[in-house]
Amino acid sequence: MTSSVATACSCSRSLNEAGTEAPGTRGAWQSRCRTRHERRAAIFAALLLSFSPGGLASQVDASQVQIETGRKKAQYCSGCHGPDGNSELTDYPILAGQTTRYSYLQLKDYKSGRRTDEMMNAVAAGLEKQDMLDLAAYYASQRPKGPRMQAGETSVPFKPDPARVEAGKKKSAEVLCTMCHLGEFAGQNEVPRVAGQHPEYVIKQLKAFKTGKRTNDAGTMSSVSKTLTDEDIENLAHFVASL
Amino acid sequence: MIASNQERKRFLSWGMVLASLALTGSCATLSGGGKESAAAAPASGKSHEVRSVSQQMLNAAADDENNWIHPNKDYTQTRYSKAAQINTGNVAKLRPVFVFQTAVVESMETSPIVVDGVMFLTTSYDHVYAADAATGQELWHYKHPMGSTTTFCCGPNNRGVAVSGNKLFLGTLDAKLVALDSKTGKPIWTADIADPDKGYSETMAPAVVDGKVLIGTNGGEYGIRGFVKAYDAETGKLLWTFYTIPDRGSEGVWATKDLTGRDMHRNIAAEKTQLAKGRKFEATLGGGVWMTPAVDLKTRTIFFVVGNPSPDLYGAERPGDNLYTDSMVAVDLDSGAYKWHSQYVAHDVWDLDAASPPILVDAKDKDGNVIPAVIHGGKTGHVYVHDRKDGKLIRFSEAMVPQEGVWTLPTPQGARMALGANGGVEWSPMAFSPKTNFAYAINLIQPMTYHVEATAYPDGKLWLGGAFKTIPTEPQSGNVTAVDINTGKIAWQAKTDQPMIGGISATARELVFAGEGNGLFKAYDAKTGKVLWSFQCGAGANAPPVTYMVDGKQYVAVAAGGNTQIDFKRGNSVFVFTLPE
Repeated sequence: MTSSVATACSCSRSLNEAGTEAPGTRGAWQSRCRTRHERRAAIFAALLLSFSPGGLASQVDASQVQIETGRKKAQYCSGCHGPDGNSELTDYPILAGQTTRYSYLQLKDYKSGRRTDEMMNAVAAGLEKQDMLDLAAYYASQRPKGPRMQAGETSVPFKPDPARVEAGKKKSAEVLCTMCHLGEFAGQNEVPRVAGQHPEYVIKQLKAFKTGKRTNDAGTMSSVSKTLTDEDIENLAHFVASL
Repeated sequence: MIASNQERKRFLSWGMVLASLALTGSCATLSGGGKESAAAAPASGKSHEVRSVSQQMLNAAADDENNWIHPNKDYTQTRYSKAAQINTGNVAKLRPVFVFQTAVVESMETSPIVVDGVMFLTTSYDHVYAADAATGQELWHYKHPMGSTTTFCCGPNNRGVAVSGNKLFLGTLDAKLVALDSKTGKPIWTADIADPDKGYSETMAPAVVDGKVLIGTNGGEYGIRGFVKAYDAETGKLLWTFYTIPDRGSEGVWATKDLTGRDMHRNIAAEKTQLAKGRKFEATLGGGVWMTPAVDLKTRTIFFVVGNPSPDLYGAERPGDNLYTDSMVAVDLDSGAYKWHSQYVAHDVWDLDAASPPILVDAKDKDGNVIPAVIHGGKTGHVYVHDRKDGKLIRFSEAMVPQEGVWTLPTPQGARMALGANGGVEWSPMAFSPKTNFAYAINLIQPMTYHVEATAYPDGKLWLGGAFKTIPTEPQSGNVTAVDINTGKIAWQAKTDQPMIGGISATARELVFAGEGNGLFKAYDAKTGKVLWSFQCGAGANAPPVTYMVDGKQYVAVAAGGNTQIDFKRGNSVFVFTLPE
């Protein structure tokens, strides 16, 4: 990212792309979000100038200080991810309750280009390591409020389909998801919590792994998703959303 | 400890309540540790005191029927106790005497240590508890202050502490070695073993001998360079490091067959071409050491097995045999110098590595002479018997689990083998009884497809180079197997409904104990495999059982916390059983 103007442009462009992925479903949402994103992008441009790396006092309870520092830094992410990491935009992930290690490594990957998303690449470009750690610590300390689904301009709580939950549960046991994602998909280390995540986001990611669009998983998810059908993916999304 | 009659009655009724609750699977609602269990304290009102453990006690542990002071009973790691009160005739009367509930509901793989009536046990996320081993009264609780970065595979497990003098030694998920005061649970020193950011973590119980604490590392799923390290027990100072990936020569002898003689379908020419390119990969070649080493005090040698190469399933960029992965290795106790190795699977691309801890035994060689030997239960489903002096394979057992399609190479879409990537025998320690000359192993039967995915080193992320998946149409199960180490023949085999993980123990009165993922904890006749007793713990009993005596009474203990790796129902408790008065 070279300037605030560039940020704003790349943000809205990425949103258009997100829109084309599922055509006809959210014209209104798109326009609402675009303005929100433009605002956010401008905020970010300012933020990038104000970020200062490091600075934790070692005598105090680092985790609380870090969470508070992260909370302040996260203001600029709230446009899409919600003020407490509970995104109401269903193809943007819920970050509340996410493992620190996962959030940190994803930000790092966005910065290095290992994971691509035009908006997040631009956002992460301005983050220092300490910023990423603080943001990750803040989101990890927040409580996830449950998955949502798009309903016109807004989103509403998601109601999983019991048959799909059952089928997803079976598939999950078969491909050994919880060996890495931990019981109940609570996440551990760099392996994300996906319990209670927006189904739309989960589907988008599983498909991205399957098609090779997302490759920062060190091969595991690419390999796992390779044998999943669209139906399996839908079922798995319902199952993990139900947790 | 001698309880009053009244207290005994309370004990009994409490035990019965527990039994009935546990049978309905709702035992987790009872309070075990802390104040609740104070009701069952000894008549004096005082718990057993924490005693110091001398080197002499550690050396003589095999004959000590009262205590269980090594993770696997003694330096030879037989998990065999001479405690003789509970036998094949009375084991059916075994009943719970207390349930020690921890604060952590997650996978339990702890092998409790018991010293003179005090039990030290661990949980996931590195909590340690000291409790009275006859009453369950909690003495202290240590919660490791976890560092902000952890990277570990297969669950936030801990398999127990080692004890020496007044110290306990704990390996942690953030790759530290912590010495605790066994009387108070307060840390005395902490050593950084390796960088958790690079994928190092600790789940094993260390071994401690003559002032040295020996510990390996996890991380074969992250592209580490494995090792065993020795630390000064007094100060935490590093004494020596043995790297499981040698500085030079990891390509080995270009073995085309595994140790049992089966073709592994390697493309040696392609591997040699790759090696000639000169790309360095040794620093990320893996080779974790998951379990406690065995110690031969006479020859001052330690024996351990080394885990898989990294990445697990993608082998193209790590040409050669990948020494010393998937091997048993012997090194000098005092210097850490290499003595010998014996590789089970060269250039492994199935994660069918070596995890279960070696056991030192006396076994017949090929000429029928009884010699010092060392045995290992492989994920391959074979028990291997080696000559202890040079590692030469004497024999391997009949296969304890199906071997269909071994060694089919993994493909992107998945290639089936009816030998799953968890084994055979996983990390679960075996037991050995010198009375029967049987090694007792617990096995998983999980047909799987093996998938490969070309992947570059990801720097601190799980690095499998693919995935393995179970097959929905093919049932899974497990077994308990007794192998005659002098013939390699299976003496008996008891089938279980679920794949088995956790460990097994044997006693002098012809009993073996092992738990299952469905919560059943069973006693078997060591000679025949007949189930003589079982108890429903209400959560997966996936930990190695132990047995010990307190004030003349024999107890059997097992943790029931379920298992992350196989996703068995989680719990938080150690169940302790004894015979009624």
